[in-house]
Amino acid sequence: MNGEHAWKPFRETVDAPMERARAWKEQTGGKVIGHLLPDVPEEIIHAAGALPTAVEGAGTQGTQAQAHIPGYTCSHAMGAIEQGMRHDLDILDGMIIPYVCDTTRNLFHIWNHCFPNKSNEFLRLPKRLDYPGAAEYLKAEFSRLADSLCNITGRPRDDEDLAASIALYDRSRAALRNAYRKQREQPAVWTSERVQTLFKSAAKAPREDHLRWMEALPWDEQSQDAMQRVPIYVRGKVWDPPGILDLFDKIGLLVVEDEMTTGYRGVATDAGSDGDPIDVLVRRHLSLTPYTGYHQQPDKLVSGFLERVQGSGAQGVIFLNPKFCEAAGFDTPDFQKALENAGIPSLVLESSSRGVSLEQIRVRVEAFREMIAEDLP
Amino acid sequence: MQPIQALKHLKTITAQYFSSAHMAKRNNKAIVYLNVFTPVELFYALDMVPVYPENHAAIIGARKMSQEVSPAAENLGYSMDLCSYPRCDIGSFVMRLSPTWGLPKPDLLVGSNGQCGTITKWFEVLSRMYEVPMVLIDVPHSGNGERDPAAERYVRSQLEDLVGVAEGISGNSLDQDKFKETIRISQEASRLWTRMLELGTADPAPMTVFDQFVAMFPIVSQRGTQEAVDFYSELVNELEERVANKVGALDNERYRLFWDNLPIWPELRPLSSFLGERGAGLVASIYTWAWSRLGVGEDDPFADWTEQYLYTFNFHMSKRIDMYVELAKRYNLHGFLYHSNRSCKYISQDIPEVRAAVTERTGIPGVILEADHNDPRLYTVASLERQIDSFLDLLAQKR
Repeated sequence: MNGEHAWKPFRETVDAPMERARAWKEQTGGKVIGHLLPDVPEEIIHAAGALPTAVEGAGTQGTQAQAHIPGYTCSHAMGAIEQGMRHDLDILDGMIIPYVCDTTRNLFHIWNHCFPNKSNEFLRLPKRLDYPGAAEYLKAEFSRLADSLCNITGRPRDDEDLAASIALYDRSRAALRNAYRKQREQPAVWTSERVQTLFKSAAKAPREDHLRWMEALPWDEQSQDAMQRVPIYVRGKVWDPPGILDLFDKIGLLVVEDEMTTGYRGVATDAGSDGDPIDVLVRRHLSLTPYTGYHQQPDKLVSGFLERVQGSGAQGVIFLNPKFCEAAGFDTPDFQKALENAGIPSLVLESSSRGVSLEQIRVRVEAFREMIAEDLP
Repeated sequence: MQPIQALKHLKTITAQYFSSAHMAKRNNKAIVYLNVFTPVELFYALDMVPVYPENHAAIIGARKMSQEVSPAAENLGYSMDLCSYPRCDIGSFVMRLSPTWGLPKPDLLVGSNGQCGTITKWFEVLSRMYEVPMVLIDVPHSGNGERDPAAERYVRSQLEDLVGVAEGISGNSLDQDKFKETIRISQEASRLWTRMLELGTADPAPMTVFDQFVAMFPIVSQRGTQEAVDFYSELVNELEERVANKVGALDNERYRLFWDNLPIWPELRPLSSFLGERGAGLVASIYTWAWSRLGVGEDDPFADWTEQYLYTFNFHMSKRIDMYVELAKRYNLHGFLYHSNRSCKYISQDIPEVRAAVTERTGIPGVILEADHNDPRLYTVASLERQIDSFLDLLAQKR
């Protein structure tokens, strides 16, 4: 495969993820398990013989969800309900909703009430990352999830299966990290939008297929980049609004690192193969960049963030905050203050379930880029 | 309407509480900031002074100061979409404007996310602001209340570890006799509070939920003190006398209603009068019921706290629906007022489903009132009153 053709399966998956899941289901007779992203261990779903499929609510607009959840809810949760109500997710046999905030806690119950015929699971993730008991608790919770999924699929739980799934996902993460590196080195070919398509499709396609498609990408293709790009760091949850990365590409911003669940954060850390496979997943989870709803010693949360930004070489930071997200909203001012003290400019952009104007965002982001570019040597 | 005499003591109780909190440092007592589902008895037993930023924020709201102080927090970057309690609390700190002479600087922050995730982030902000340590009691709610032994071990170990942290900050060792005595006093306060709520089943109800909201201060802040027990003893005695003499909170109680969610603190008095004039009495509320089972046993309080935080206070949707159906029967309810509270997403986001299910199971209608517990800029009273009026018309037609 060469050129644009090589990107086709990724784009097809992103454009019609449930069609990809349907084809897999017809071919294998397996179960399709949706998950609401943050820190759901896809390896456990895969090892149970099911297809993990990420459900991204952000960017979905509609009118049906508001009958079930109030409008002052983030776009990610609201969009998931909307997709369910309009039957976009009918192919799912089950859904895993991780407890990362109050909204996901409520969403689980509302989802269960709206879609009682699916096998729904609530993954209780610990929030106190630096407390020793969190690891023991998470191990029990991941084990419970593994048992529950094996009940759904009917496959006996097997540590060797899980170890194999972890190895597959580690290989996939390595390939995606490679693509992310290419984005920095060859941004004219490996645009942010293209690389994000790889990341997004990885969470929706059978991972074996995805890895194979990635191997066929034009890794050696070179192209001169005429644009002077400004390196930025992005903090947020999911890439929302849709089209934001294309906008960054077009106006000359280069994302050198991000904390998105659908971005670099999700692939930065491998699980490895050292020990019991559940232990391995627990260690990986606890070493991830803290999700915004998690807790560490409060000064460490800020200093850790600042160190990550400074280590990335970014010249500016963009916060992509979902409107009504309490965790992101209360973190941001102190994070911005720390950046300001370190002489790093930042910009907060808000996404909403009612949609936002990309043109308005463009004006703000362009101004932000110009401000940073003036200071660049 | 005859005012409840015992409530008159609250002004003095509140003033004395804040006065002694401000004097704590001079008396060599350490100050700990807490939220609801934390083991306050432990801190009283260690001679620490518990302070509740939520109480402070609610008082700001009730005194109609939110609009003055909240913009100061918004100017720091805290959006109006975020909970108005921390906005008011942080804004009050910035402006040095508070009905309680501010809050004394804490030595320790202890928050539990069993109540909501906002507490975690709010306390993190305060921890950085005051440069003091914070302990989070992380409560991983089970989905539908099923038993979770791993979560029980996790929560219990955090509570046990908290003792050493609090001893270190306070400079005191936990005296088991004093600890048990504090627990006994706390149990009694909790028992009296529950008794007060149960008296609302009387016809007519001797007290409205508005007065329950007002009476909450000691059960929140002073559980484990004799002051709380004395106050609720007198209040319960007065209410029992009212029930015996069939004296209602309203002169003419036509409708018995349930209030879901937190109060709208800035509108307590206007809404109370509005409903009272129409013979509509709020006789029960999830918010005041939430404080009814806070007592723990002396034998193994850590096990009891763990049980409470993980299961009793896990107000998941199915449990709320069952609870409302049961309360509808016990309190002989005619309708439900659901406060869809923009600030408290935790207890508000499932209201559309709760309302539909409760009405389906009981036949009792409910109306959703979109407002906010502390920020009057996010609702209009006239609109709430119109909705309530229409709802009362509906109830009248049903009769």
